[in-house]
Amino acid sequence: MKLALRWLLVFSSTCNLVYGLTTEIFDENLKINHLQDGRVSTTFTFETVLKGASPRDPRTLNTQDASQHYVLFPLTLGQILREYAVTELHLTLNAGNWNYDRWGYPEEKGVGTGAELWAWMGTGAPTSVDDRWKGLRNALAGLFCASLGSLDEQRTTSPTRSYFPQGVLPNWNGNSTHQLRHASLPSEHVCTENLTPFLKLLPCKSLSGVASLLNPHRLFDADWHGMSVHVLWLGAAGIKVRLTFQSLMDPLRSSISNNQNWSFQSLFDHTIERNCPAANSSTVQVTLPSSDSYSAVPEPPVVSGSLATYDVLTAQKPLDISVSRRGEFQYPSSFQAVAPISVTRTLQGFNQANGRLSLVLRNHRSVPQSLVYLETMPWLVQFHLHTLQARVEGRIHDDVISDISYTAAVPHSRPTTFQAMLRLPPNSVTRLNMDVDKAFLRYTEHPPDAQRGWDLPPAVLTPLILDTNGTHLSDEYRLGEPIYTSTLLVDVATPDFSMPYNVIIFTCSLVAFIFGSIFNLLTRKFVVLHLDSNQGN
Amino acid sequence: MSSKPLAEIKLSAASCAIIISRVACAFLGLSGVLKHDQLLSTSLSSYSQLKEGVFLFRNGLDPYSGGNFRHSPLLLALFSVILPESRTSASLIWTSFDLTGAWALISIWKARQNVGATSKDALINASYLLNPYVFLPTLALSSSTLQNTLTLLSIKFAAEGRASPSLFLLSILLHVDLSTILLLLPILLLLITDPHSHLASPHPLTANLRRTIPLFGKYILYTSILAIASTIITGGVQWIPQTWGATLTLPDLKPNPGMWWYFFTEIFDHFRPFFLMVFSVHLLIYVVPICIKFQYDPLYATFLLLGVLGTFKAYPTLSDPGLFLSTLAVFPEVFSYLRHPIVTALLHLHAALLMPLFNHLWLNTGTGNANFFYASTLVFACANGAALIDAIWAGMRIAIGREVQNYVVVQE
Repeated sequence: MKLALRWLLVFSSTCNLVYGLTTEIFDENLKINHLQDGRVSTTFTFETVLKGASPRDPRTLNTQDASQHYVLFPLTLGQILREYAVTELHLTLNAGNWNYDRWGYPEEKGVGTGAELWAWMGTGAPTSVDDRWKGLRNALAGLFCASLGSLDEQRTTSPTRSYFPQGVLPNWNGNSTHQLRHASLPSEHVCTENLTPFLKLLPCKSLSGVASLLNPHRLFDADWHGMSVHVLWLGAAGIKVRLTFQSLMDPLRSSISNNQNWSFQSLFDHTIERNCPAANSSTVQVTLPSSDSYSAVPEPPVVSGSLATYDVLTAQKPLDISVSRRGEFQYPSSFQAVAPISVTRTLQGFNQANGRLSLVLRNHRSVPQSLVYLETMPWLVQFHLHTLQARVEGRIHDDVISDISYTAAVPHSRPTTFQAMLRLPPNSVTRLNMDVDKAFLRYTEHPPDAQRGWDLPPAVLTPLILDTNGTHLSDEYRLGEPIYTSTLLVDVATPDFSMPYNVIIFTCSLVAFIFGSIFNLLTRKFVVLHLDSNQGN
Repeated sequence: MSSKPLAEIKLSAASCAIIISRVACAFLGLSGVLKHDQLLSTSLSSYSQLKEGVFLFRNGLDPYSGGNFRHSPLLLALFSVILPESRTSASLIWTSFDLTGAWALISIWKARQNVGATSKDALINASYLLNPYVFLPTLALSSSTLQNTLTLLSIKFAAEGRASPSLFLLSILLHVDLSTILLLLPILLLLITDPHSHLASPHPLTANLRRTIPLFGKYILYTSILAIASTIITGGVQWIPQTWGATLTLPDLKPNPGMWWYFFTEIFDHFRPFFLMVFSVHLLIYVVPICIKFQYDPLYATFLLLGVLGTFKAYPTLSDPGLFLSTLAVFPEVFSYLRHPIVTALLHLHAALLMPLFNHLWLNTGTGNANFFYASTLVFACANGAALIDAIWAGMRIAIGREVQNYVVVQE
């Protein structure tokens, strides 16, 4: 047995030698923050770096790919990435609406409700980017048991002003280009069937290490939860896969004495029993409460500022970190805004044929704020761009909106992409209004439970931040963290689903009746008949 | 004649009153209320879509690259020059289209009667300007008003024997609405014959049909010049699938008073192309038989085909059947031979009251469903069909003359 194991070891190291000497590093981390409204945000991050690896050149898609041998890197994901030559991939599945005003920015910035998938893919392949995108979303749908297959042409856009590559895009032959494909499905519900395949991508599953805290019973009971998968190329450093799970727990909900105390046991109903042997590092970071007295058990070995860091690998097991504060939690009367703006988006009007899209933007800062505004809309809501109007404090301001790029929807296929630059005056409330038309769909296009309506994807507002690294003379802006608005529900008029046959029969009968009568008149001759008065007719 | 008869002065005063009241309507500001009314404008004729297209066009975006802009590039070019800033001025422009249409209708009447001015002019004027099917779409700023005006002008010039303006307007009309190709054959016949009433004395066509060939060539020439102009205006041929294609493939299923929208909402997907073909070809079927039967009176054939368009075209508004009903005023000789004018009128009354009501119940209050409105459009189609059938009957029946006692006129 031992001999066999040794041979296996030798064999696998030889394989490593043969297949490009890639080494894999796995790091896991759990970050716990206290939020203003008493909630606790937990963010699990699992990073695997495939050192020295590079994404597949799409021009080699016709040729045999090198065999893939991974120890820690998830093979199923790797196969999908290589099959469709995907350079960068971001998939998020969230449930709930992230409240930026109360919770600040999330640790993982993709918090749009439902499923969101975007990928950068190189061009020049024998198959088109759209074909590979189709294959990719179907493969991911199978991998994560999510309805990502519905992210079809009717939802796919390329909003290149809001979504930039987060890693490096390779330049294979000096002039290769990359294209972005983005789609979101706000009606997707995230649940435990998505978490199970997610856990399977981890080297230690949920058996040990930080991942052992991923207890679906508690995670899906949270006020907000979301998971994400990010694949990016770091250049020479290799390919990084980052799997994250965020959830927003509310210790006050289960607390009898209205205090904010929590422990692993109370949050996850689990403790860390043993280390994940594959992990290069395994840490838990807790943002300690700022002012009032608290006690953290066990005592954090490293505290820098308000951030306490525990090294799980060396900590005593079972590890159950708990933070308790004295006294009752005082619910704040107002929340300190972390994001520079807050947004409310609504669809107004009771009519099922048209409505009005309205966006209320509050700039909390005393300086003007520039934003990139992105709206992607399925074709069933059609914009009337000429009615777009910005009002600041009730007065029409033409200079709020600039630099519009617009791709109109095509009925039954392409969605609308609307991108614009907004400039909000300091400390102001800006209202954007635009009339929209609601489409009338074929009866087969309606989803089951058609009267519920359609979920519309969130808008994304990305603040532009003046880069303070340089001097004030250089007007260097960079994109800040995106702000996702809430999703909308549009009430689309429904036909009667029970009577397609009746409608076909009624209309055809009427057409046939009029047609028949006309041709009856046109083809027959008039004759004058003498009525025989004796017979009475 | 130094002084007009009193009756004539009264009638011209009536005409003036009608015109003034129509112009006054333009100032009521009803366009904001009516612009979304689905009976008055479809996506092919809606004013908001026109404004959207002009906005995109002015901002350097191609309005035909997507979206719901389905107006002809000719209208786009026209309104990107003269698009009025205020609703009132737009209403005035639209009312002036209607006034032009009424003037054309009176000219058609005069050409048919072969007289200078008659006492009936004011009645003809009223039949067009006071027809609610005609003036409500005008108040909603629907471009179907412009379509009606172009149709009437084209017929007017044809009735006066002026081939070039008539065919030019007809080819503009083809760019505005593909289904008006139905009118080509009767207008060609009208150009080689005369507009006078021969309904009472049917006779085979005496004019040489070969004379239509150069006229047809002229029509093709105008149409291609306009098509090239459209392509130059928009910088591509994208406008063809967006405008002409829309009438054939029905991408927009917004409710309208016609027969297509609910049928193609409910049709099974695998039958859709077949029935789109059937419904499109069905329109063309009427042209040749009606033109053969009424070869002695092509103006009447034109009128009947307006009725076919109003009943069966892909994206009708109320103004399409309205044009047919108003044009009926030009043919007073057939009135006494109509079989069931009361039934037709009641059907129209029924549909005209129920359609807006059921549309509102379905889409605004949510208390009725689509079937209610669909049923009322079926009644409307019955009304249009009844009017059309009756007009065909009366147009042929007039040749036999009055019934005498103990004799009855039937079809064999």
